[in-house]
Amino acid sequence: MEEEEWSQKVTGNQLPEVDITQPQQLRLRQPRLHPGMEEKLVLQFMDSMHNYLSLFDALSSILREGWLDLASARHSMGGLRINSSLLDMKLHTAATTVKITQYDDIAVDSIAVQPCFTLRKWASSEHGNSQLEDNNVHLRERDGIHQSSAEENAEVTVSKNLLGPTDNDQFSKERSKSLSTFGVLISPKLRASQLSFERALDVLVEIANMRSSVLYSFHQLHEEAEDN
Amino acid sequence: MYGFEALTFNIHGGYLEAIVRGHRGGLLTAADYNNLCQCENLDDIKMHLSATEYGPYLQNEPSPLHTTTIVEKCTLKLVDDYKHMLCQATEPLSTFLEYITYGHMIDNVVLIVTGTLHERDVQELLEKCHPLGMFDSIATLAVAQNMRELYRLVLVDTPLAPYFSECITSDDLDDMNIEIMRNTLYKAYLEDFYRFCQKLGGATAEIMSDLLAFEADRRAVNITINSIGTELTRDDRRKLYSNFGLLYPYGHEELAVCEDIDQVRAAMEKYPPYQSIFAKLSYGESQMLDKAFYEEEVKRLCLAFEQQFHYAVFFAYMRLREQEIRNLMWISECVAQNQKSRVHDSVVFIF
Repeated sequence: MEEEEWSQKVTGNQLPEVDITQPQQLRLRQPRLHPGMEEKLVLQFMDSMHNYLSLFDALSSILREGWLDLASARHSMGGLRINSSLLDMKLHTAATTVKITQYDDIAVDSIAVQPCFTLRKWASSEHGNSQLEDNNVHLRERDGIHQSSAEENAEVTVSKNLLGPTDNDQFSKERSKSLSTFGVLISPKLRASQLSFERALDVLVEIANMRSSVLYSFHQLHEEAEDN
Repeated sequence: MYGFEALTFNIHGGYLEAIVRGHRGGLLTAADYNNLCQCENLDDIKMHLSATEYGPYLQNEPSPLHTTTIVEKCTLKLVDDYKHMLCQATEPLSTFLEYITYGHMIDNVVLIVTGTLHERDVQELLEKCHPLGMFDSIATLAVAQNMRELYRLVLVDTPLAPYFSECITSDDLDDMNIEIMRNTLYKAYLEDFYRFCQKLGGATAEIMSDLLAFEADRRAVNITINSIGTELTRDDRRKLYSNFGLLYPYGHEELAVCEDIDQVRAAMEKYPPYQSIFAKLSYGESQMLDKAFYEEEVKRLCLAFEQQFHYAVFFAYMRLREQEIRNLMWISECVAQNQKSRVHDSVVFIF
């Protein structure tokens, strides 16, 4: 279907449009690009690079906030209540996982592989909730590529407006369960640091996806340069 | 009524009161904190502390330093001062000094039990314990499966035994039960310490009653704020509050039903001593509450030194040293994390 659309666009003397939001679905067997299209690719590549670097800045500030909140919690509750010797060594499933999907097209001359990273937070929740969380993160990553400011990418609110109240309750319970390593009556600062590190995880996954997109765009440009 | 302590106190307590007042003179001043806050790294902090009473404890530590190392070594200074005073003390001062350490003992017990629940190595846990709270059979805590065994196997021979009467159940030890056990033990300890100080009478009873009442009230506020949004019920929360203090009993009734920080503020602002504390905070904020409470506590502890011939100076010294160590820990963390702009968020000046 997409190949037909592409052919129509070329036949109609229209500039073939590259849909950067779905890079994993692009076919690499395409005619030589119009010079204007090449510049557009370069601009999109530079935009992606800018967003990628901005995400790094955002990650750095979120992590700084998280570490300081953790130090503040240790200051408030005492070093005996927050230290590494309390971490649970019992075997348990990971609360958060990353799903990597490889999109590649083996039908073209050059194989382009673009991994897509999806964060699954609080995976011990009910399956339905985690699936909803997957979709929300995936949607946000697709939209995030076109966002001009990476700060907006960094402001992850887990699309709470798409989650019902029971989903939020479930996530709150999972967060409390995770923090119960340090006790039940814990300082709000420890909860704040947990949220900071959770946001950092979201940004890390966005960075991974952004990097994947940047590398893919670079690969396209490189191939175009070689063709020229 | 005071019992003419001036006539008899110095017979048994004069030497140690002089010692503790000398130690008080060694506490860090605002100038020391200003120098420390301008340090670029932890080695700079070590260099500045070498000119203080902590110098001998840090001088042999190799670089790179870690913030936990600084805290551990500074705590050794406190432990040495305490042990010197304890070995020189006679009754009832020796019992009074032992009471000061029971809080650390409770923390150590909970650390060992929690760590064992999480399948941690006992030796590793023992290394993390506070030195002031150590006792001989502490390692045996790891074999207990429930509170009854905890009491029967280990704690029956420790000073914490009387505090376990409200905790003994056959329930398995889990995170909630351990938390309730911690707070119930601490409540019983505070009430016992309070009664002991009342029995001593005189200036000790008067000053220690004020200090312990403040401690009980602060605990009540912290329990309330930390239990918001948790599974702890209102009744369970109420049971953890101590049965003395300015907030007892009506303030506790209000705190027990609070669901957010603003309701806590509304309950506390009815009490003039705490109105000034909450006046420093903006609505909905709880970040600076700890610092506000620490500042009030330091003010009261410093006032204890204004009177002579009582035991509260020993309690005040220990608590001021602990506050100083907390300050050093915070400054070290801010320096290590390159966040010196936040250093004044939690440092409480003592002088």
